[in-house]
Amino acid sequence: MELLLDILSWPLLLAGGALVILGAVGVLRFPDFYTRTHAAGVTDTFGADLILLGLLLQVPDTMTGIKLVLIFLFMMMTSPVATHSIAHAAYAGREAPLTGKLLLRQNVPVDITADGEIKEAAE
Amino acid sequence: MFTAAAAAIIVAMIIMLFRAIAGPTVYDRVLSVNSFGTKTVLLLAVLGFLMGRPAFLDIALLYALINFIATIAILKFFRYGRLSASMADMDLIRGDRR
Amino acid sequence: MLLAEAVAPASELLAESEFPGLSAAFAVEIFILAMLAATAFAMIRMRQLFGVAMLSGIYSLLSAAFFVALDAVDVAFTEAAVGAGVSTVLVLSGIALTAKRELPVDRERTFLPLAIVLVVGAALVYATIDMPAFGDPNAPANVYVGAQYIERTPEDIEVPNIVTAVLASYRGFDTLGETVVVFTAGLACLLLLGAGSIRGGGRHDDEEH
Repeated sequence: MELLLDILSWPLLLAGGALVILGAVGVLRFPDFYTRTHAAGVTDTFGADLILLGLLLQVPDTMTGIKLVLIFLFMMMTSPVATHSIAHAAYAGREAPLTGKLLLRQNVPVDITADGEIKEAAE
Repeated sequence: MFTAAAAAIIVAMIIMLFRAIAGPTVYDRVLSVNSFGTKTVLLLAVLGFLMGRPAFLDIALLYALINFIATIAILKFFRYGRLSASMADMDLIRGDRR
Repeated sequence: MLLAEAVAPASELLAESEFPGLSAAFAVEIFILAMLAATAFAMIRMRQLFGVAMLSGIYSLLSAAFFVALDAVDVAFTEAAVGAGVSTVLVLSGIALTAKRELPVDRERTFLPLAIVLVVGAALVYATIDMPAFGDPNAPANVYVGAQYIERTPEDIEVPNIVTAVLASYRGFDTLGETVVVFTAGLACLLLLGAGSIRGGGRHDDEEH
């Protein structure tokens, strides 16, 4: 039984760890803020959930299991809200998403027009 | 097993630290601090199992909550310029902009 | 001495028993310390004050993780309540009252602070040489009041659990202080979220765009 739990929990923890690293690499490498939000979501959802699930298979007593489930539930509720409010604050703060040609040509200064369109900044 | 998970989380924390230092925008930093908080919660949970003391999960639980509140407070500060904004103030600010 | 005899077997037990994954936990501590140092240097180099506030949040998260790794769970709890949540926000409110960027300091004026820091650092490192070894039965922590607590708890407080007696009676004011800190942090969280959030908020859209 213990061996079976170990066999089940190894891939969960490894996959969770791999996803956490992937999400972090995405946050480091992606070109603009909104795409980085997308990468951070990988860590917050699948990475965290798989690791917590892997730990849940290894709990020594019920109380520890309950605490892990609570952490899981809090993360399920809070991390989407936090990510949404970061993106929302960025949007409200006129942080321009890179789109189209600008996404390919990085480091171009951009401007938002009155109708919310994003254009290359005039010199 | 737990060592592998802890190592993965620490590597991810180091990478996230680079993004927090590099910026470039304010929102990138908030995002990386929030994500760093998530990783801290995971690290604390794994660390409890690694050291054979799952009772440490209490701290991870507390952190999952505190991290959320801190992020919301920071963003509120950004959006409205101060922390004690109520709904009436928010309407006032929006009215000013129009 | 009575207590030295009582403690000696316990410390032997501690030295002999191998905690599972102790070396891995040690590696985790090293990495956390390295990240703490990196964060501190980045905070020194950074001129944009908001970035410094964000990094101080990360610093606080890391130091709480470090306290947990060192088994100081109660300190980590207080650090979590105060450091991660409230102090970042207090720093941000401070920034709202001042400039967004830090002014560069003249090179001549940096020498005195550097000298003070070096002297204090050297004194602290010198002080660690006198620290007793981990689990030493003759360490001050194990010899003076600790022995008194163990001997006198049955007569003084009349509770079977010595830890309870120490926390609630011998060090009652210390515990009161800690509780006040955590309570203040909780109040601050409510204040930060604001009255609007407590009432459930209202409709909110972004028509200004």
